[in-house]
Amino acid sequence: MSDDKVVPEFMQKAEFWGKGNRISDFVEGKEFEHHWGRTINAGDNSLFTTLTQMYNPLYFNAGYAQAEGHPGIVVNPLLVFNTVLGLSVEDLSEGGLGPFVGIGDLKFHRPVYEGDTLSARSVVINNRESSSKPGAAIVTWKTEGVNQHGEVVVEYVRSNLLFQ
Amino acid sequence: MNISSYTGTDNYFEDFAPGAVYRHARGKTVNENEAVTLCHMVMNTAPGHFNDHMMEDTPVGESLVYGGVTISIVIGLAYQDTGEQVIQELSMDNIKLLSPVKHGDTLYAYSEVLEVQDRDENSGLITFRHYGVDQDSNVVFQGERRAVIRKRPKYHDSLLV
Repeated sequence: MSDDKVVPEFMQKAEFWGKGNRISDFVEGKEFEHHWGRTINAGDNSLFTTLTQMYNPLYFNAGYAQAEGHPGIVVNPLLVFNTVLGLSVEDLSEGGLGPFVGIGDLKFHRPVYEGDTLSARSVVINNRESSSKPGAAIVTWKTEGVNQHGEVVVEYVRSNLLFQ
Repeated sequence: MNISSYTGTDNYFEDFAPGAVYRHARGKTVNENEAVTLCHMVMNTAPGHFNDHMMEDTPVGESLVYGGVTISIVIGLAYQDTGEQVIQELSMDNIKLLSPVKHGDTLYAYSEVLEVQDRDENSGLITFRHYGVDQDSNVVFQGERRAVIRKRPKYHDSLLV
């Protein structure tokens, strides 16, 4: 890039349209209904399961899944978990740009099938200053993933380090 | 359908004893294409996983593999052995991401059997602790996983069609 490059007017004029929340937004007890929802289709499940090599035919063989008593192929539980976490990212951890601290108390409550729609919701359960990183905080949320019938399919507790 | 013909023969409930530790056969180089594909597919919007230009200004210097992808790939590497006979995944706990994973890193998986518990005629509960290790022997992930695992079918069951 040459030194005399002119910054176009639209770039000079542009207002930054930021995303995400900050540490002070995470008051204990505050609830979030996360955006978008996500219908898990057969392609999602097949691609996720094969790229991660999760070799159990429940997740990619319809006859096998039916022989096991399911109506059809079971959605990979780690895809369920990851999609619910993904839907929560803009509200919870995108703004603070900090690393993941831990996840615990994760429970898979019931199977998810292809065509089911997941949505995610969270509640702030803790927000404390980091003892080692000034100005940063460790925030902990409980997140639930819900299917289109309102049934909780997965829940877990996640902590992240967040910066101001 | 004789479902037992679709899966292995050495990874039923009875094959696991508490305290056993296994090193799984296959490692995997996590390439950028799949790490970013999976990150987007699960709707993770954090640009630290897909904007190298933004990450140039951080101590890491490049985008990092989303932790959920690391967890899934490591458990995937362990899954033919510890998940092929799973009837139902129940829970996970104490999940920690201990070291960053970059595009091009190679991951290996280890599993420890923590607890084995009888359940019924056909299945039992097993708790594993999985470990993910990179090419330099850094532990990048560890976490516990509990699942319902099928017992070895009895002879007459295996003849059912």
